[in-house]
This record gives sequence, structure tokens and C-alpha cells, in this order.
Amino acid sequence: MHELSIALEVCAIAERTLGDRVPQLTRVGLEVGDGAGIVVENLTFCLDTLLTEPPFRGAGVEVSAVAGDVLRVSYLEVDDERSAH
Amino acid sequence: MSVQRIDVRERVMARNDLLAATVRDRLAAAGVAAVNLISSPGAGKTTLLEQTLDHVGRAMRLHIVTGDVQTQNDADRLARHTDRLVHAVVTQGGCHLDAAQVSAAIDQIDLHDTDLLVLENVGNLVCPASWDLGEGARVTLFSVTEGEDKPVKYPKAFALADLVLVTKIDLLPHLRFDLSKALSAIRAVNETAPILCVSAESGAGMDDWLGWLHAQVSLARRAAPAVA
Repeated sequence: MHELSIALEVCAIAERTLGDRVPQLTRVGLEVGDGAGIVVENLTFCLDTLLTEPPFRGAGVEVSAVAGDVLRVSYLEVDDERSAH
Repeated sequence: MSVQRIDVRERVMARNDLLAATVRDRLAAAGVAAVNLISSPGAGKTTLLEQTLDHVGRAMRLHIVTGDVQTQNDADRLARHTDRLVHAVVTQGGCHLDAAQVSAAIDQIDLHDTDLLVLENVGNLVCPASWDLGEGARVTLFSVTEGEDKPVKYPKAFALADLVLVTKIDLLPHLRFDLSKALSAIRAVNETAPILCVSAESGAGMDDWLGWLHAQVSLARRAAPAVA
């Protein structure tokens, strides 16, 4: 139920981490634990939508299922050539 | 190579947890006890707090922050039982309170004129369990009008509780509710938290609840740094 809040925070982490490079974001890697209380389909649905809204320009989401209550942004993938288009 | 992978390894809850730690430090420095009340909608959080305010009177300086998706009805109800500020957080759709909301709320409270801060969370047994608000203790309620198996259906809310309250026990004679099954369900997910059976309506168990609150206040006060 709170996946939208989580998705918004993931976007905030991406913006804080990437700064001016946010539009070049192409993929977000997440680790979601089986005890994290997250419905992965809901989270990816929210992220798929949010990541098409400016300053984002569309990015994929890769979720790794792990054990425990882990909920972490593991990596961000950027394509520097994208800014040229 | 134009595609670059940046390792982040940042916990999604890190910012909330950092704010919660700040709230906890501020409360500890002022010697204020804080409890986070979690339950489904209608389990009796507000009624319990109304009775609590009536019982403690001016003997305990109690501040309440209520969380609701819409309306400040709960805060209005509680305000009739206290001359202190009751702070309403309207989450506008949010399904839980978060540490930023609590931090903003306590900015408006004189912590040095407060013994106990009660955070009445949004009625929801799922999401509030995942958000640390900076509280000293977490209290999870469920009423006898709900199923006995609520604790095993919503384990996180009960597993992280420091106290579990079974509410509305005055209704037991009218219900097919097996209290021993409910207690077993609590113990299945939480082996240690004390369990109190209460009725705000009849007053049953209220002394135990008030005693527990007083103990929280004493603990927080003893742990506070001495004022020079």
C-alpha cells in the first residue's frame, strides 16, 4: 500500500545521487527483501510511471529479490549519450 | 563506453530513519517519552486516548499527534479532553505517518513542557509498521470485533510492538471471539511484548495501560540528561 512513498523516495535518491545527470538515467537497480513488506509489482508500477516524468526521461527497473527486510537502491545506470538526443 | 553503472547501495528508508533518529534524540534530550499507536481503522485508538486524557488529567503533560488520510476529526475529538495542543497531520492519501511529519509536528510543541508524546498513526496495520517515527515504544492495538488471527495476518505490526493492546473487551459477551486464540496469535509473532486487555468503555484494564504509560514516562525522565 505504501509502494508509492517508496517509489518517490527511490526517485529522490536518484536525483540526489545524479544531480544534473538525472535525464540520462536508464536503469535503476533495487534489492527488495522478502520481509520488506513490499509488493514488487506495485513498486515497479509506480516507478515505471514516475521515471517517465521530468526530470526523468524513462528508465527501466531491475528488482533483485533477496532475503530479510532489505530495501535498497543498489545501482543507477546512466547513458551519457542520451543527452545528445 | 557511454553507459555507466553507479553503485549506490543506499537504503530507501535511510532518510526517514535519519530523521527518526533526530526526533528520538530531541525527545531523549528533553526527557519526553513517545509512543506510536498502530492499529487498523476503528480498533479504538482515539477512544482509548480520550479516556486516557480524562484519567491522567493534569498529572501527565500529554501531547498527541494524530494521523489521518483526511479530516482532523480525531484531533477535534481529543481536543475536547485536553487544553493542550492536539496536532493533526492530514496525510492527503498517505497511508502512514513518517518521521518528517513527526519532526515538523514537534517543532510546534514545547518538549520541555511535555511528559509524553503520543503519535496516533493512520489506521492501517500494514504500512505504519515500516516507518520509524522516532518513538520510544510502539503499541499495536486490535479489537475483539476483528478476527483472532489479525496478528498472524499482519505480523510486522505485531512483531515490532513493545506492547499489544486487545481493545473493546466489554463486547466479548456479545461476540464469538476466542480470546485465548487471539493471545496465541500474538505470541506466535511476538514472544516478549506485554499484552493488556482493555476496554475504554467500561474502564477494564485501564489502570494497567495507564501504569504502563507512567512507566514509559519515568524511564524517559530518568534517561534524560540532568538540567544544569
